[in-house]
Amino acid sequence: MEKNFIIAGFGGQGVLLAGEVLANAFMLDDKNVTWYPSYGAEMRGGTVNCEIVMNDSGDVSSVNKAETDFILALNQASFDRFLPKVKKGGWMIANSTLVEEKKSRDDINYFFVPVTKLADELGNSKMTNILSLGVLAKISKLTSLDTLEKALDNVLPAHRKNLLPLNCKALKIGYEYDLSAVK
Amino acid sequence: MTECLTKTSKKVLTKGNYAIANAAVLAGCECYFGYPITPQSEIGEFMSGKMQELKRAYVSAESELAAINMVLGACATGAKAMTSSSSCAVALMQEALSYAASDELPIVLVSVMRGGPGLGNIYPSQGDYNQATIGGGNGDYKMIVLAPATVQECVDLTYKAFYLAHKYKNPTVLLADGLLGQMMEPVEFKEYPYPEVDNSDWALTGAKNRPGRIIRSYAPSADNQCEFLNKLHAKYKLIEENETEWEEINTEDADIILVSFGSPARNAKSAMKECRKLGLKVGLLRPITLFPFPSKRIAELAEKTKKFISVEINMGQMIRDIKLAVNGKAQVELLNRPVGNPPSVEEIVEKIKKESGV
Repeated sequence: MEKNFIIAGFGGQGVLLAGEVLANAFMLDDKNVTWYPSYGAEMRGGTVNCEIVMNDSGDVSSVNKAETDFILALNQASFDRFLPKVKKGGWMIANSTLVEEKKSRDDINYFFVPVTKLADELGNSKMTNILSLGVLAKISKLTSLDTLEKALDNVLPAHRKNLLPLNCKALKIGYEYDLSAVK
Repeated sequence: MTECLTKTSKKVLTKGNYAIANAAVLAGCECYFGYPITPQSEIGEFMSGKMQELKRAYVSAESELAAINMVLGACATGAKAMTSSSSCAVALMQEALSYAASDELPIVLVSVMRGGPGLGNIYPSQGDYNQATIGGGNGDYKMIVLAPATVQECVDLTYKAFYLAHKYKNPTVLLADGLLGQMMEPVEFKEYPYPEVDNSDWALTGAKNRPGRIIRSYAPSADNQCEFLNKLHAKYKLIEENETEWEEINTEDADIILVSFGSPARNAKSAMKECRKLGLKVGLLRPITLFPFPSKRIAELAEKTKKFISVEINMGQMIRDIKLAVNGKAQVELLNRPVGNPPSVEEIVEKIKKESGV
């Protein structure tokens, strides 16, 4: 089995970090995983994305995939750009605080969740990335909350460990978000 | 970043650039000299902390020219020394690489390719295949060139680069691309697996209690230079015989063999598997050493296969070496992307279908 993910948003929203946490979780689950960023002259406020490919076949993953199983779009530009890349039957998970809820494709699954608003309610809008990672992980059914918490601990550098409890809280809110709206 | 990258049997998730830098440290690299350039700046960043912490030499040089010449000087003392850079800046180092080949110095150069020619851009590329394997310096010289395709190979081949450089007293290049440099995968940093090479008979370590030595790139007479070049090329031949390395899958019954190195080889491998599912007889040959190139093996395969397809991120550079090896015995086609991420699996499958007449 091979599944791939794209996490995309504004530079500064923490999409690369969210991807790194997800990749780390797959590593902890003993899966093969590859993470790579869009790599141009990126800057804060511009768009940025990373792709994560996981497999359990024991072989190296290919890169630069034509289609994607799960896309997490944290802003409108990313939603518009990556919508055509969602695999038939795949998922577009979008930040409805910043993305218009419009379903123009009927061959994919959509899930709109106001992640920036939820992060604000938690007290820190910077938690948007980790909170939405919780939603993405839950929908994908490919890793557990427990593993993601360990992955967060792996990824946060020593001088940022004070932020671990709040990040874990954000992760949990996302992971336990009511998915009953999902068909 | 630096704290978790110690010798370990546990896997860590890290970028190609950090993997290379940490492997160099574990290989016993004593001196790093460098000048930053995207997409390999993390190597210098890592070294700037780690080398000082370990009381080894780190110099942020004033230019690429200075950096590579510092490596030359350090290597003349027998030290394990390296630099790292990218395309347009590796271009600046060509004179020193020719001198290092002539002086038979074990320098290690990590070249993380980006778009070119000229300043180009910072997207992944394999446009410096020729720069590394043919060389841009003067004279008849060869560098050993190793090409990783995964982050784990960034570690393993960095170890190997140090070993081969010292074993053969020859400049050695680790040739990666921007995608590998920035890519993260779980890796294991095992012990440096090679023996230490004795350099007591040539290194400039001070002439106390022994006659002085001179390392120089100068042969005043034609006879001298002929003798020297013959000796140098006998060494290259030995390297070809002993060190040629490649990965080969499903070639035995293949009608079409994909040849690809570095990151595009990953997609070539997946495309090969897809095509096998479709009943197409496709194989893969992935050169791991670009010099020495697996020419002999390709020549053998050319006797029984119909076509080779070279998959590269450039305008077609390795394809020349494939054609030389094939020597007209089979057709050789190119599937390239000029610059950027490798051709997708779907593109490669399409090309294979087209070439098989399906």
